[in-house]
Amino acid sequence: MVCEEIEAKMTLYLYGELPDSECAAVEEHFAACADCARHAATARRLQQLLNQQPVAEPAPELLVHCRQALEVALDYEQLGWHSLLRDWTPALSLSHPSGIVAVVGLVIFGFGLGWTLRPQTGRVHTAAPAQASSQATLADLSGARISAIRQVAPDPETGGVKITLDAEHRVTMEGSLDDPRIRDVMLYALRSYSNPGIRLDTLEALRSKVDTPAVQPAFLYVLQHDPNLGLRMEALNAVRKTDWNPEVRGALLNVVEHDKNPGLRGAVVDELSRRALQQHDLQVIQELQRLAETDSDRYVRQKSLSALVALGAAGP
Amino acid sequence: MDGACLELAGKIPAESSPLAGTDESALVRRAQAGDRTAFDALVRLYDREVLRLAMRVVKSEDEAADLYQEAFLKVYRSLGRFRFESSFSTWLYRVVVNVCLDHLRRQRSRNEVQPPEQEPGEPEYFHSLADPNPGQHPEQALRAREIGGRIHAALEQLTPRERMVFELKHYQGLKLRAIGQLCGTTEETAKNCLFRATQKLRSCLADLL
Ligand SMILES: [Zn+2]
Repeated sequence: MVCEEIEAKMTLYLYGELPDSECAAVEEHFAACADCARHAATARRLQQLLNQQPVAEPAPELLVHCRQALEVALDYEQLGWHSLLRDWTPALSLSHPSGIVAVVGLVIFGFGLGWTLRPQTGRVHTAAPAQASSQATLADLSGARISAIRQVAPDPETGGVKITLDAEHRVTMEGSLDDPRIRDVMLYALRSYSNPGIRLDTLEALRSKVDTPAVQPAFLYVLQHDPNLGLRMEALNAVRKTDWNPEVRGALLNVVEHDKNPGLRGAVVDELSRRALQQHDLQVIQELQRLAETDSDRYVRQKSLSALVALGAAGP
Repeated sequence: MDGACLELAGKIPAESSPLAGTDESALVRRAQAGDRTAFDALVRLYDREVLRLAMRVVKSEDEAADLYQEAFLKVYRSLGRFRFESSFSTWLYRVVVNVCLDHLRRQRSRNEVQPPEQEPGEPEYFHSLADPNPGQHPEQALRAREIGGRIHAALEQLTPRERMVFELKHYQGLKLRAIGQLCGTTEETAKNCLFRATQKLRSCLADLL
């Protein structure tokens, strides 16, 4: 090959898009031509430089914010804005995309210990992953030291969840969300794990179980103590759907009293007033009165006052 | 999930994917019938990836959130027209890539009428991202930030299509054939875009190489 041809093929070569048959010729040319070899070295340095700006993981707050905003927008759609908006939106050219599938940035951490938790069956099934050095049973986990949790992913097929984590040995297992050993890992993740993305995933995976006695305390813990606002918001969203009980009430009251974020306090005021209306809960009404008078944030005071007005517990 | 896809993406064996499983199409059918819970489930399967891509092509979290919403609203509105002729993920990412391309085009036409307010080396950054290297020395951190700014500015010199092809190739590791599909063009065009993009980046960043 001559230098001009190499120039045209260099990018493809460096991005692994050149057929094997041509790679050899390109490499031979680099060995013989100092100019092109220097060019290739520069191109490699460009790749390395660009890798210094890696693909960042979205902050959980941002993800939660996006989901909430989308939910509101979809509500509007369903309320009849649909046709109006559609008229304004140019049609998408989406017909007949062909069978090749592409996944954008699907990053899976294949290393570690994978669990599939099945909420319905109590079945515990073990299977070794392709590169696993050993096949293990769920019982092995009780003695395993967990060094890192890599991923918590919902499994749409089973409604269960798959956890990938690093432990002393590597296994893949299936179990139930009700299995206490599995629950313990997830509760560990929620309470102690430093990566907020993993905590968010765990929260989502456990969401369907928020009404169970084993899981609910973890949600209430996150709602009250997680350092990440997005996580606390998500925990509140889940807690909204639970039955009213003294623990839920205590957690909500604790949040309005102690949480530093007025947005979350305001959202909890909404929830408290909704519950107070349903449950005729006097203690909640008293707390709303206190908030209306003494909360440091004007928005929270106003929200509490409006709630009381709506409840008929305060004059306009 | 289609094995070909994962091979194209050069990532992982299909069985490891949390998106694997036949009942995604069941979710799609339920969503097509108006089931919001099913639609939410589909959103949650893909939205982190979508947001990650959006963050690559915009300057602020607000803009990334706008793109996220625009993309999923488009998916919601046009879901009825999805006929299972490709996998749902391909179809969805075509919508997402279209939204990103439109955004880049709008941004470009805005930049043509008014000069940027910031120095090219000092773009606005995402503030709430986790620090990728918390133990870093302050001077190193400053230097990394400067380089990050230069890279960002260089990427902004690309045309929308060059930018999108480059993002999908360099940062997302997709094959050019798949990129052509997602961008509604041919593999050959994607190849040329990648070539021009790397040329431009090399000249913009020459002093750092
Ligand atoms: Zn040469």
